[in-house]
Amino acid sequence: MEEKKKTQQKSKLYIFNRAKRPLVADFVCSICIRIFIAVFGIIALFLMLFPHSTESQIEKRKLAEFPQFSLQSYFSGEFTKGVSTFYDDTVPYRDSFKTAGYNFKSIFGLHTDDEVKIVGAKELDKKPKPVEPSQNQTSQKPAESSVNENSQASDVSKVESQVSEEESKPETSQMGDAEYTVENGIIVVKHNGHYRALELFGGGTGNTYVEALNNFHKDLGDDVKIYSMIAPLASEYYTPANYSGFTASQKEVFDSIASRLDDGIVSVDIDTVLGYHTAEDIYFRTDHHWTPLGAYYAAQEFAKAAGLDFKDISTYNKNTIEGFVGTMYAFTQDPNINNDPEDFIYYTPSNLDDCVTEHYTTDFTDMSEWDFFCGVGDPQHNAYLTFMGGDEQVVKVNTNVKNGKKLAVVKDSYGNAVPGYLFGSYEEIYVIDMRYFDLNLVDFIKENGVTDLLFTMVTYSAVGENAEKLDILRTQ
Amino acid sequence: MKLVFSSLFFLYVFMAVVFLAYYLRKDVKYRNFVLIVASLVFYAWGEPIWVFMLIFSAAMNWFIGLKIGQYKDTPKAKIFVGTAIGIDLLLLVIFKYTGFLVENLNVILPIDIPVPHIVMPIGISFFTFQAISYIMDCYWETVKPQKHFYKFLLYLALFPQLVAGPIVRYSVIEQEIDKRSPMTIDITEGAMRAIIGLSKKVILANGLYNIVKEYFGDFLNGSPYNDISSMSFLGTWFVVICYSLYVYFDFSGYSDIAIGLGRMFGFHFNENFNYPFICKTISEFWQRWHISLSSFFRDYLFYMPIFGKQRKYANLFLVWFCTGLWHGASWNFILWGLYFGVFIFIETKIGKKKMKKWNKVVTHIYSKLIIVVGFGIFCFSDMAQLGNFFVNISGMGMLFRGNAFADIATWNSLLNNLFLVIFAIAVSMPILQKVKYFFNEWGNNTVYTVGKGLATLGCCYLLVMSSILLVDNTNNPFLYFRF
Repeated sequence: MEEKKKTQQKSKLYIFNRAKRPLVADFVCSICIRIFIAVFGIIALFLMLFPHSTESQIEKRKLAEFPQFSLQSYFSGEFTKGVSTFYDDTVPYRDSFKTAGYNFKSIFGLHTDDEVKIVGAKELDKKPKPVEPSQNQTSQKPAESSVNENSQASDVSKVESQVSEEESKPETSQMGDAEYTVENGIIVVKHNGHYRALELFGGGTGNTYVEALNNFHKDLGDDVKIYSMIAPLASEYYTPANYSGFTASQKEVFDSIASRLDDGIVSVDIDTVLGYHTAEDIYFRTDHHWTPLGAYYAAQEFAKAAGLDFKDISTYNKNTIEGFVGTMYAFTQDPNINNDPEDFIYYTPSNLDDCVTEHYTTDFTDMSEWDFFCGVGDPQHNAYLTFMGGDEQVVKVNTNVKNGKKLAVVKDSYGNAVPGYLFGSYEEIYVIDMRYFDLNLVDFIKENGVTDLLFTMVTYSAVGENAEKLDILRTQ
Repeated sequence: MKLVFSSLFFLYVFMAVVFLAYYLRKDVKYRNFVLIVASLVFYAWGEPIWVFMLIFSAAMNWFIGLKIGQYKDTPKAKIFVGTAIGIDLLLLVIFKYTGFLVENLNVILPIDIPVPHIVMPIGISFFTFQAISYIMDCYWETVKPQKHFYKFLLYLALFPQLVAGPIVRYSVIEQEIDKRSPMTIDITEGAMRAIIGLSKKVILANGLYNIVKEYFGDFLNGSPYNDISSMSFLGTWFVVICYSLYVYFDFSGYSDIAIGLGRMFGFHFNENFNYPFICKTISEFWQRWHISLSSFFRDYLFYMPIFGKQRKYANLFLVWFCTGLWHGASWNFILWGLYFGVFIFIETKIGKKKMKKWNKVVTHIYSKLIIVVGFGIFCFSDMAQLGNFFVNISGMGMLFRGNAFADIATWNSLLNNLFLVIFAIAVSMPILQKVKYFFNEWGNNTVYTVGKGLATLGCCYLLVMSSILLVDNTNNPFLYFRF
């Protein structure tokens, strides 16, 4: 009976409400519409009236431009595509909204003290191994998928920065072996309360690198001492043990390369040395480079091998840029990286004021003088450009040392951090980026009386497509 | 580049302009004019040339519809029906299946015809089926042929449902083309529905696809499939479950936006999804999944007396063959259709009454297993990877290839997307529907008002968050644009 009563009451209430419901609904909905229109209108006006972004610091690229109209571009669909892309790509405060989006997406995951996030394709449990020396060299692309995602607008160009045509383009399988078409990507690990992004290494032979250096040795003879110093990726040291199957040993590759270089070429083993200093900040957590401190230990090892005078780091002036977040944020789109900045600490030699740095175009003309260690715009993201301001140039440093020694450094961006430690060791230092040099390097070395030639670059470059450029430098 | 619903340009330029223009005046003629112009601009944005084919298709079907009305109950009517459907299907076959047909002919016959790469006009599968349904309805006299071309053009080209459905029958909006006056509740409910659809796409579907593409490859954006031969048993299951959820949220999200936008303009489209994952049988799944397509095949193909007395089962397999083929010019889609056809055939043989007596847990597990494996077939147009998928998911990969039972990468992906997956599963259940029902139907007016207020705030939040996520998703076309 009671239940019946309750049901009756309920239905009365229901009927009673239904009678007035249309009026209430109309009133409530009219308010809801106003709220929707207000929110929608604010967003629409914001997108329309605020200045459009023109480049993205996170993605390191220029954003899309408004397309030019023509009948051809219209009927091919390029014009309308360009308009949509322009509008969507150049949202005001784009980077801030992207960051907000990454933060929002991070709530989807479970975060633990020792969390690991893998970015990029996952064809795993096939530990890639260095291939036999007889095979073509190969390697794996770092986080290609995330990089692709960042370059959504295919018709926009990248901002020139430390990641342009960087060592992020190692060769993929040329030998058709499925094992080496694997893309391992990047893993983000949390350790001691801090996040660190690590580029994984898929193995390689370095055949092209070995061949190029041996050819240089043949062309230059024993008049010029040649050194090979390959910098390992941070994943060599910081990959958690249970993820070690995701990355190949770089030490094995270095040893293999060293064993195949001509006797006259000196291999500088920095893999072992850096291994002793992993408790220090020798690699950035948020950037794909080593730190200036890591480069210091490498330079020290090189100085030992070359028998040079070398000053202890305590004699250098220490400079700090706080709040640095490097390229790994763009690669991984992981807000934890952005929210966990680090200090960019670099060291300037005490004789800096007595040294003159000349910056040339890539054909060694149009000289201009400015500092080796230079200020950069947006240092919180571009601090690594502190070294010479970038890669696309030839730099000559005239030091106050008078020992007749002249060094040519052939490098990728890893090598940018090295020459600053050698200002007290050489009379002249030439810094040449293997990707941006228009002259014949053998002739250049001979004409300028270079005594030592140092090849220094990261593993990806030594086993990847950048190595092909070395032999081109010799023959072009 | 298609003008996709989930883009800032569509939302805050196109829709803003259309909405303002639409509500500038009240008379229906003006509003129809606005919608026709908007629809043609919408289509021409992605297809500046094929928009003329859309207009041609509309003109041809409208004209033949009139003729069918004129010659009703005469043999001429049949000829007109045949002509219209013949042309409609011919266009569909030319644009969608030529390459596939030539490829297969080259395999079967000792010939080597160059495979043409014809770019398919977007939405052709949808508006062709709408046109066919109109022609058949005219012939069956369930609708009156539309006398005015512009009104028929509005029906066929109406932009909310033009490129990816739902397949709206003419009878559904016949009255509303001439007479509609959207109430405040229509605009509110429509806006909420559209925003929920947008969020399903941007937050859930895109998030789930990010997991899928890490393992299976970014195939929806033209990249090849990854080699999945060494994927672990659990890894394969995890990713294909994510893919199943992705397809659901991607497509039902689009349908929600279409239905919502339609309602904002005063049209009431039929539902296209009804929580398909709560089904207990495969037959029930198809009563809840892509309803407008399955009902199209049911009404216009299944009941056609093609195979005489044996039509029931022969038609059943014909329907499922066509359902598969409709989804794409690839064998995996045909296999996918027939796969479901087989299970529906088996269920028909067992009988609904018997199946109802089965334990609910058993039927749920049975149906989900079949559905998820089905989406695996749907996923891989590359037969080698489809083979690997079957090997992995059946456990044979562990037995014969030494694949792992589980792997650290899967575990890692699960942890990094744990709440996304849980949330997606929750949203695929009718929880929100029940909450809405409580606030709307059983609560008093205060509860109703509070419910509406919460829903409005929730939708505003979703709109803002989806818009922010769209800043980073400039290329995220809907899956069903491919069909």
